[in-house]
Amino acid sequence: MYKVKLRSFEGPFDLLVYLIETAEMSIYDIRISEITSQYLACIREMEEQNIEVAEEFMVLAATLIEIKSRMVIPREDAQGEPVVEDDPRKELVQRILEYKKFKEMAGQLQEAEERQTHVFTKPQEDISEYLENPEEVLRLEMDSLVSGFLLFLRKKKKIEDVRKHYTRVERERSSMEHRIYSILTRVRKNTDETFSFRDLVEDKKDKRDIIVTFTSVLEMAKERVIDLRQRKTYGNIEVKAGENVENDDILKRYSPEEFTEEVLSE
Amino acid sequence: MNNKTVKSAFESMLFTWGDPLPAKEAADVFGIKEEEARGLFLELKEEYEQEGRGIVIREINGAFQYATKEENASYVEKLCTPVKIKRLSQSALEVLAIIAYKQPVTKGEIEAIRGIKCDRVMDGLAAKGLVEAVGRSQAIGRPILYGTTDGFLKHFGFSSLKDLPEIEDIDSVINLEDAAEMDLASSFSDEVTAGNEAAPEDAGQIKLEI
Repeated sequence: MYKVKLRSFEGPFDLLVYLIETAEMSIYDIRISEITSQYLACIREMEEQNIEVAEEFMVLAATLIEIKSRMVIPREDAQGEPVVEDDPRKELVQRILEYKKFKEMAGQLQEAEERQTHVFTKPQEDISEYLENPEEVLRLEMDSLVSGFLLFLRKKKKIEDVRKHYTRVERERSSMEHRIYSILTRVRKNTDETFSFRDLVEDKKDKRDIIVTFTSVLEMAKERVIDLRQRKTYGNIEVKAGENVENDDILKRYSPEEFTEEVLSE
Repeated sequence: MNNKTVKSAFESMLFTWGDPLPAKEAADVFGIKEEEARGLFLELKEEYEQEGRGIVIREINGAFQYATKEENASYVEKLCTPVKIKRLSQSALEVLAIIAYKQPVTKGEIEAIRGIKCDRVMDGLAAKGLVEAVGRSQAIGRPILYGTTDGFLKHFGFSSLKDLPEIEDIDSVINLEDAAEMDLASSFSDEVTAGNEAAPEDAGQIKLEI
């Protein structure tokens, strides 16, 4: 039983090279039988660990088994004479050597890449502000135009994909009922105080918030829950408790029940 | 106009441009030959290196660009944290190595070397602008031939493909026959000659029937 600690392999040759090196075999004289059983053991182990084994691993397994059988059983021709053929391992050796070379080169590239992470450069400067003729800016090569456009399309597709799965949801904005409730709570707490209209507008203070607050205040003034006073045109509106400030019947007409109950319980 | 003035102008142009500036374009500005411009850029590059400046000039396939000195990286990173570019995966590096050394090369040839499909890796490399289609092979089906781009040179800091690390005796890798075959064939030919003295002159051949 071979115990093989699994790491990730880039392909069947990666695994094979790893096994040969671990067994300290010469590539020119691979002990096919030994390597084949190790290779198969690895694949079995991968399957047991539910790692999906790519079909290509099986192809090399088949090749190994074929070579093994050719080395064990001498071939005979029609007359029953043994056929001497090339070492069945030759082609495999060539492929391993070639793969090893490129794996080595990949390692060198990785080192070069690593060194480049310490070098910084500027991207193409935006020189449009120095240019009189705006068409100069468009003096691009065809392929950068194409890649730019493809990038745009890809981005667009991504956004569309996201949109397909999500819809834009906005928090329900506060209604007039909510606003009346909150204004009333403040006014009731302090019936002697004069409030500034501006202070009654809640946090966000966008146009809609101001309008909701304004209509709420007008509604409340109509029912005399509050009194309003504006000293000059466009001036600030002062808000004070009105004669019906404690009258819950009026309030009930405008408020959803839950709010009314809360107000009443205070 | 003397060389000093031209070189000084080149410095200003590199500064303004940012991206690698092709020697050809710089040459056109002065109406000189591209080779001459390249020579001046290389002189300039040499001067920066000799003075140990924090800016170096690097060449990418006949174009020139300012870059920071590698040794100063830690200081630059203290000043600001540049976005770390995601490193390439092991399989991407392998595929890239094969393309770099064997270009122009087809996908089939790459897959034959690695023994595994590489469509997704190739798509990734093409999207990163490291490889591109450079033509079509004359082989059956006229498969696409791939090669590396200037972006590849830039990514790994190579001036040109000649800058790639040497593959020791790359020819013997690709026409392995010699080295490997000699070993194998010699051990085999012993058996052959032992079995059949009649055909010693054929002993070295690959296929031999007795």
